Amino acid sequence: MPEHPQIVFAGTDGGALTRIEDYESAGGFAPLRKARSMAPDDVIAELEASGLRGRGGAFFPTGRKWAFVPKPDQLPKPHYLVVNADESEPGTFKDREIMLRVPFRFLEGCLIAAHAIQSEYVFVYIRGEYELEFEVLRDSLEAMRKADLLGGVTVVLHRGAGAYICGEETALLESLEGKRGQPRTKPPFPAIAGLYAAPTAVNNVESITTVTSVLALGAGEYAKLGVEGSTGTRVFSLSGDVVNPGNYELPHGITLRELIYDVGGGLPGGRELKAVIPGGSSTSVLTAADIDTKLDFTSLVEVGSSIGSAGVIVIDDRCCMVQLGIRVSQFYEHESCGKCTPCRVGTRWLTQILEKIEDGRASQPDLDLLLSVCDRILGKCLCPLGDSDAIAVLSYVDKFRDEYQAHIELGRCPLEGDSSLEGILAPSAMHRRQAHEVAHV
Amino acid sequence: MSELVAVTVDDRQIDVPKGTGLVEAALAAGIEIPVFCYEPRLGPPVGACRMCLVEIEGIPKLQAGCTLTVQDGMVIRTAATSPKAAEGQEATLEFILVNHPLDCPVCDKGGECPLQDLAFRYGPGNTRMTLPKLTVDKPIPVSPLIALDRERCILCYRCTRFSEDVAEDGQLIARNRGARTEIATFEDEPYRSPFSGNVIELCPVGALTSTLYRFEARPWDIQNVPTVCTGCPVGCNVSVTIREGKVKRILSRNHPEIDRGWLCDKGRFTYPHLRAEDRVTAPLRRGPKGLEEITWDAALDDAEEMLREAGDAVVTALSGSETTEIAYALGRLLRGGLGAHSAVMPEATSNALEAFRLPLSAIGEAEIVVVVGDDPIVERAPIVDLWVREATRRGAEVVVCSPTGDLSTEPGGAAALCHELAGSRKALGRKLRAAERAILIWSGPGGGGGARLAELAHALGLEDKPGSGAFHLPATANPFGVAAAWAASADADEANPEPFELLIVSGDGAAADPSVRLLAEQAERTIVVTMFHELVGGWADLILPATAALERDGTTLNVEGRVQRVRRAVLPPCPDELAWIAKLAARFDVELPPQATGVFQELARHLFRDLSLDEIGLKAPLPARHPYQVPEPATTPSSALPTFSDEHYVGALRLQRYRALFSGPAVERVPQLDFQRPRPEVELASVDAERRGIAAGDAVLVRSNGTSVELRARVSRRLVEGVARIAEEHAADLHAAVEVVKAQ
Amino acid sequence: MASVSTRIEKLRKQYPKSTSAVLPALRLAQEEHGGWLPPEALREVADALDLTPAYCLSIASFYDQLRLEPVGRTLVEVCTNVSCALSGAQQVVEAFERELGLEAGTTADDGSFTLGTVECLGGCGWATVVAIDNRHRLRVQADDVPAIVQELRA
Repeated sequence: MPEHPQIVFAGTDGGALTRIEDYESAGGFAPLRKARSMAPDDVIAELEASGLRGRGGAFFPTGRKWAFVPKPDQLPKPHYLVVNADESEPGTFKDREIMLRVPFRFLEGCLIAAHAIQSEYVFVYIRGEYELEFEVLRDSLEAMRKADLLGGVTVVLHRGAGAYICGEETALLESLEGKRGQPRTKPPFPAIAGLYAAPTAVNNVESITTVTSVLALGAGEYAKLGVEGSTGTRVFSLSGDVVNPGNYELPHGITLRELIYDVGGGLPGGRELKAVIPGGSSTSVLTAADIDTKLDFTSLVEVGSSIGSAGVIVIDDRCCMVQLGIRVSQFYEHESCGKCTPCRVGTRWLTQILEKIEDGRASQPDLDLLLSVCDRILGKCLCPLGDSDAIAVLSYVDKFRDEYQAHIELGRCPLEGDSSLEGILAPSAMHRRQAHEVAHV
Repeated sequence: MSELVAVTVDDRQIDVPKGTGLVEAALAAGIEIPVFCYEPRLGPPVGACRMCLVEIEGIPKLQAGCTLTVQDGMVIRTAATSPKAAEGQEATLEFILVNHPLDCPVCDKGGECPLQDLAFRYGPGNTRMTLPKLTVDKPIPVSPLIALDRERCILCYRCTRFSEDVAEDGQLIARNRGARTEIATFEDEPYRSPFSGNVIELCPVGALTSTLYRFEARPWDIQNVPTVCTGCPVGCNVSVTIREGKVKRILSRNHPEIDRGWLCDKGRFTYPHLRAEDRVTAPLRRGPKGLEEITWDAALDDAEEMLREAGDAVVTALSGSETTEIAYALGRLLRGGLGAHSAVMPEATSNALEAFRLPLSAIGEAEIVVVVGDDPIVERAPIVDLWVREATRRGAEVVVCSPTGDLSTEPGGAAALCHELAGSRKALGRKLRAAERAILIWSGPGGGGGARLAELAHALGLEDKPGSGAFHLPATANPFGVAAAWAASADADEANPEPFELLIVSGDGAAADPSVRLLAEQAERTIVVTMFHELVGGWADLILPATAALERDGTTLNVEGRVQRVRRAVLPPCPDELAWIAKLAARFDVELPPQATGVFQELARHLFRDLSLDEIGLKAPLPARHPYQVPEPATTPSSALPTFSDEHYVGALRLQRYRALFSGPAVERVPQLDFQRPRPEVELASVDAERRGIAAGDAVLVRSNGTSVELRARVSRRLVEGVARIAEEHAADLHAAVEVVKAQ
Repeated sequence: MASVSTRIEKLRKQYPKSTSAVLPALRLAQEEHGGWLPPEALREVADALDLTPAYCLSIASFYDQLRLEPVGRTLVEVCTNVSCALSGAQQVVEAFERELGLEAGTTADDGSFTLGTVECLGGCGWATVVAIDNRHRLRVQADDVPAIVQELRA
């Protein structure tokens, strides 16, 4: 495996920089001092020049996002930086490792960002399931406070409580305000009216951590990494049917083949690659034929998918694609916030139709109905959650139409119980089972 | 004139004011965009139901029209001209109907259901949902007044938004997430809010229905009568649903300046008192064997005889909830016919506030609102409470100065506070002076019926600021009208000599008033006009049946000074007051029209500058401000408190009685409202409770000279020290100083 | 230990608006009440933050980690999302069901364990992830389960 430059994980040497002295001697906090010596607008300009784009999934240019936040004299309200550490996109586990291994780099990035948007308040919304990560951040923050590095900025670690939707920025803001985590309509955008209706920048953990690295390297050096339109490195989360799953920081533009085979060691037992989900479960599936696709924003759009959160799930030939559809749809059904109609109703309906197909009870019109329900969800929802389910399911049918067709024609699953997803118990099905029992008591 | 923007909706060009919502702009162009969750009165749009999807030129995705305000040059295509929008609308409707049961034939909403209408207009006519629908137990009582059918619910969140963002009661909520989301209250607790019934009207499907209306009527066999509520001085505009001569329900009839389409539960749900078991329908006379029914002719003979014997030695106890016409007719009979000028009212009123007149809706736009007086607004004029909440949400500074308020005052301390605020020492007074839109509200007894507040308003110069004003919230529905009518009914103004012989009790409010009962004990004889036998059976000599406001024609003068029309929705079971008053008056050579329109014409000459009923119309206008007139000075010390020596009453608490919104003879006759009535509680400040070793929920004895009442303790962090607050109906005969101890 | 309301009071001071403290306050109350939120816990939080119990219920019921039903002393949650599922999560679930004598989604009669499946825990590369009282065990295989259960019972 060739050596790739480490930006986010620089200086860790495969380990963790969790002692403030170690981090400092690895060059830590110099970027913060540099940033604080610059005018806020110059920091923003530096970020724009670096080409850094959001790592949470939307790939929005980080510098531009900050530039949208009005200056305090334009909108005299408190300004807030909110960091989205609610990582919960299936297939994605990078932010967690970043917080564990380079907590100071991450917190340093928070302070640089706060300086750039002239905020004195940073909220880190960390998913409630991340217990260890919370503790590491808490201790690191305390160490920075003692070292007098906060510079008057209040940093609050706010723990979520188990809701995927809170990864959506406006739902996150609602949740942070103490409400149900349901997305807001946009406009107004958070930059203008975010937390407590005040100007707010919402950034992902990896983006914020990379900010520190951009300041360390300088925008020019940073932009040399990666490819046109997708500069820099990316922490890819590799999981599923692969020999060496894990997080790998690699430059944008490496191919799926390199990631899965060279870095990931290929599929276990020499099994055949059937499908790859390239950017978390919300992205369209690719097939073995797409193996030479480059992992960058543009290349993935060209093959009809998306780089998303760079969570790459490898799927081998034991997996039934209808079962994959069910499991993915169950996830969105479970996580739908219930606010808008198409998502709340549609995700459950999709699961039901897919189950009918898997059970061999479906006829041709059911498959048409499945596609039609996907179409009726797509583009009608308040936030991207419902769309994600529809996009995923549509892509499974599109890429594996024969397999879906076979379920209908055979009246059963062609894998006959040997699918790697056979019998998997999703939380939504577990609840349904319980509700069923209650109803029959 | 505000700036206009040009928009195109389905090829129709229209200019609308900048900031207009897209749905409203389309409507102005004659195009209806269907909505479920959209309801501007609930605050900013939420874009939840997705029924309003439209296509906007230049934006690839369909947009929820309700969430947008139009921009200059915007080109909008609705389902009428955009296949994409039509597909979006169809999709949403299909999703909404996926779990919705097909039970329209047995649903109360059927026939007046927006979902039914839209399904009929845009729906596919059949369903593609052949898999199991979500099913749950139904209906669930959300309260004794409201039933919830969760299968019918389409989760538009109108009801929960009302609870959270309008009434701000935090009682009706969404529980769970996703497809399992449902409307609920905490545990088995009822939705207990003075405004709960509004969610029934807000519900765009048959998920929230009235238990009182359940299966009572269908939309095609009812009539709706527009009238005005007389439950409190606000005078909300209502629509009374009638079927076969009976009141079946009461709905709001949005007057944007008064009620904005909201209604409190007292106004909405008290109508069953019309059919109370003890309703008096014929005159009754006390004879040797107790009360016996007599004919109207005999009753009028009796009344005439009693009046002739008493001459001018008559006291009339008015309820303050009579129509202005009834009060005028009574005045003409008693003052004009007998020279009996003495009358008592539950509370004084003052004309001085006419110089600070404003629509109630102005409260919502205020910069600063200062509320003084002992009673929470919601107990006196509930809708005003909603306007004040609106003001807070819009960023106004709202300062409540009361024993339970932001700024603690002693009970009865409002007049003194007004005096202080009029000076320049208090920061609050200075803020009031500086504001362009300042509102003052007096909510409680005393203060010369608003006179002290008027003095403050005048000192602050509010009569010269068009956005500023002052309101006195009286305890009864029409005290301004009644007082004005009584005053206008005769020229003479002298009081009658005491003692008096005959007490005339006009209406149930007066009949239920303990101080009126005391008067009755002093009188030789008593004539009572009442709806309810049990109220007066023990002490009246002659009982004449009263009509309810829903059975009357007439007018009232509300808290703003607006003359509004009360209309007869159903026929009373007895002759109208004006009819028999006219007959009786004729026996004393006083000529009176026997119906409301005639009486109104006569009193309008005296009171309302010949205002005509047509001018009042269905949505009455607000008359202009009058010039400021210096009110009568305070006759009692500004702090009209019982004085007692500290030594004698060491540790004693002052009893503060309050009249709860859900109280009074009519409310007491509607069992479904029982849960809304004040609980048998005494409210104590946390320091006072602590001192006595009392915890929240403890059983306590409240004692004063020889009497005691057992109640539950309610511990308040807001209540001022040294006060025990008890609702009138639980305070029994307690005196002004009480002690509270833990019950054994 | 300071009272719950004092600790909530401290939490609320972290935020510009006190309602923001509702999630941390509910977490705290849940810890104090044995891992779930009985009605009195919701009342407590409501009281401390000037909210209504109904509001707290509305919030608590939205989030998976806040529980409105009693929970066992040890909470075992197996991720069954795609990556874990591909790596044998169902076998892990079934192994726990066998070893604990519990059906997923239920709590033991003696209150010792609650077993359930959960959505993605963010450990896809270390499948199967099992959260035991919110501490993650990584790369769990069905064969590991008897030892884990033995350890937990000890």
